[in-house]
Amino acid sequence: MSPRRELRSKLASRAVQVAFVAGVLLLWYLGTNYWGISPILLPNPVKVWAELRDVLATGEFWPDLRVTLTELVTAFAISCTGGVTLGYAISRSPFCIKVFEPLLAGVYSIPIILFLPLYVLFFGLGPGSKIAIGATISFFPIVLNTVAGFGYVDKIFVTAARSMGASNIQMFWHVLLPAALPVILTGLRIGFTVALLSILGSETLASLAGLGHRIVHLAEGMETARMFAYIAFAVVIAACLNATVSGLERRSKR
Amino acid sequence: MTRTRQLKHFFIRRPGLARFGVIVALFLLWEAAARWWIDPMFLSPPSKVVASLGALFETPRVPAALQLTFFELAVAFALSVVIGLTVGLAVGLSRFGHRSFMPIILLLYGIPQITILPLFILYFGIGAPSKIAFGVTHGIFPIIVTIVAGVQNIKPILMTAARSMGASRWQIFRWVIFPHMIPSFFAGMRLGMTGVLLGVLLAELYVSTAGIGYFTQLFTQNFDPTKLLGLISVLAAMAIVLNEIVRRAEVHFGRWRTG
Amino acid sequence: MTTGDVAVRVRDVSHQFGEPSDKQHVRALLDTSLDITRGELLCLIGPSGCGKSTLLNMIGGLLEPTSGTVDVAGKAVRGPLPRDIAFVFQENALFPWCTVIENVKLGMVFQGVAKSEQDGRARKSLEAVGLKDFINHYPAQLSGGMRQRAALARALSLETDIILMDEPFGALDEQTRMILGEDLSVLLAATGKTIVFVTHSLGEAVYLADRVAVFSARPGRIKEIIAVNEPHPRKPSFVTTEKFSNLRNTLYGLLHDEIRKAVEQSAAVGPAL
Repeated sequence: MSPRRELRSKLASRAVQVAFVAGVLLLWYLGTNYWGISPILLPNPVKVWAELRDVLATGEFWPDLRVTLTELVTAFAISCTGGVTLGYAISRSPFCIKVFEPLLAGVYSIPIILFLPLYVLFFGLGPGSKIAIGATISFFPIVLNTVAGFGYVDKIFVTAARSMGASNIQMFWHVLLPAALPVILTGLRIGFTVALLSILGSETLASLAGLGHRIVHLAEGMETARMFAYIAFAVVIAACLNATVSGLERRSKR
Repeated sequence: MTRTRQLKHFFIRRPGLARFGVIVALFLLWEAAARWWIDPMFLSPPSKVVASLGALFETPRVPAALQLTFFELAVAFALSVVIGLTVGLAVGLSRFGHRSFMPIILLLYGIPQITILPLFILYFGIGAPSKIAFGVTHGIFPIIVTIVAGVQNIKPILMTAARSMGASRWQIFRWVIFPHMIPSFFAGMRLGMTGVLLGVLLAELYVSTAGIGYFTQLFTQNFDPTKLLGLISVLAAMAIVLNEIVRRAEVHFGRWRTG
Repeated sequence: MTTGDVAVRVRDVSHQFGEPSDKQHVRALLDTSLDITRGELLCLIGPSGCGKSTLLNMIGGLLEPTSGTVDVAGKAVRGPLPRDIAFVFQENALFPWCTVIENVKLGMVFQGVAKSEQDGRARKSLEAVGLKDFINHYPAQLSGGMRQRAALARALSLETDIILMDEPFGALDEQTRMILGEDLSVLLAATGKTIVFVTHSLGEAVYLADRVAVFSARPGRIKEIIAVNEPHPRKPSFVTTEKFSNLRNTLYGLLHDEIRKAVEQSAAVGPAL
């Protein structure tokens, strides 16, 4: 395509996207203001904006946000240390990899959130069950990626280091770890994202506090406008957290 | 050779058998833990869970709830495939469509949908439609993304070769693009099934007044780990079977890729 | 060629991979014996699968022969000898996460060289191979030829008496090979090390080596050892002389049938091997 047609095409696409977003917002506004859609189902966008500003100004979100973030950090810390350690251990023997990798991948393929009621039975409705389910679910991408990272280091590096007299510790620190790091970091990023989703999900399903719970609470109270505000808030928080983690991953890979 | 070495050599050739052994060992551990170490209020041994499956299925409305869940999964998956395929082809085949709509699709894909689950229930009610809808919104995105990738990743040289032999646009689609896209389609279906499973089950667990959610809530509040584990196991088995079906289809139809 | 004591002594070495009952059983080497003199450059040449790389790995202690002995500097080889032997591999064995100079220094860390000495030795060997301006580059930023120069610098900085090179120029194009070969000859003439060099290229073998050991097809044994009596460093014009052509033709005559045999062997076994 010639440069001018290319540019026109890019502008046209951009216009379509803007029109799409504008169209959605317009329909939303018309629907609530002129077409009589019940405010319980679809709140007025102006009201949602007002509620959002109120939530932010009063800092009402802090307790719930704190709960969610604490659960997230704790769960991730557990799955991180457990996943990397176990992943390294499994990667040491090709036989172990062949035995355990498919098992772990198989378990990861079913929705592990199914086990939330069991965790609630164990730990109650408090943060314990959220941390437990978050750690359980995010464990899998971390351990699988760690096994892949350490287990498939190009043999030539190991051979070269061995020929130069590397000790086992030197081999781990100077060869295995740097070689495996990119894959492991990807696993950590995926694990973090999945932990966040699992925690928000379990807060929605069975909790007494946290952002997910707040949204449910507002839904049950029919405070739809405020609920929309919290949904927007939660989506933005999630986006920021994920973007930060992705950025960290990219920077560490240099 | 010593006995342990013989044993080791036996298993090394048969990782499948070793895997089976690991699963058996885990079940034995569960059995022992539930019987002797953990309060029976919190955990039941697998033997007890299996034995009481009969009682579980005789509990009124449990089989109906399970059947309904399976129905929701099937419908949500079918809808996801149809919608996902249509949108995926439309966006993938048109460069303008791709440029305009792909960013929007990716943006929507990135939103944590769990935050709007209460909205789905608000809009679609507590019955099957909301579960199906939530399953569809989880299932369509991986399908769209994989199909778009499958269409876009065709090596230009193949298209050039076809055109040089005089193929029409329809012929190029039918004989070059479509066969090339099939493995991606099946890969997308596999990921879509994972999404549908997650979406439908999340919605089911959320609604605690009917369906599966009612019973998980009931068994939890009554501290009945036996029935709870039984229910979870049946659902997990359902998920495994459905996943396996799609995975086998992918392996079968994707064969030209890996040779 | 400097006459002197034996640096490497290989006696009646045979090697097989797997048990005779295995599907993938391979007899790589059969009753091979060889004496490598201190300070000489010996080439091992032969068809694919003849065991020349296997022999090299055994000399370097990376592989234990199923039968026979290998002695280096008088002692039996039982594992890697980082103080006596340095390797240059064909594939890229430079660590991609380290810069060129970090790669060279890391080799010394493994060998156990004092930290104070590492930088000086690294810079010296990198300058010797012509990479003075690229020491802070990453391997991915360099061409294949430059990467192999860096690999050679890493081996040189370890200051071993023996360097084993396993088709170091195998992945490079013809022109780069030619230049690197000329530079290698100059470099090695100055250092006086014992070099064992595995190659597929007839011209390369004649140009670089003091002696060329020609292998038969699998199971490999040394068919003949040809001497190239030409002083080091070799001049680029050596390639155009009649002596060069004759030697190359001799090698061709010895190798051609073995190569055919090896190709038939691999076709018979199938693509899995």
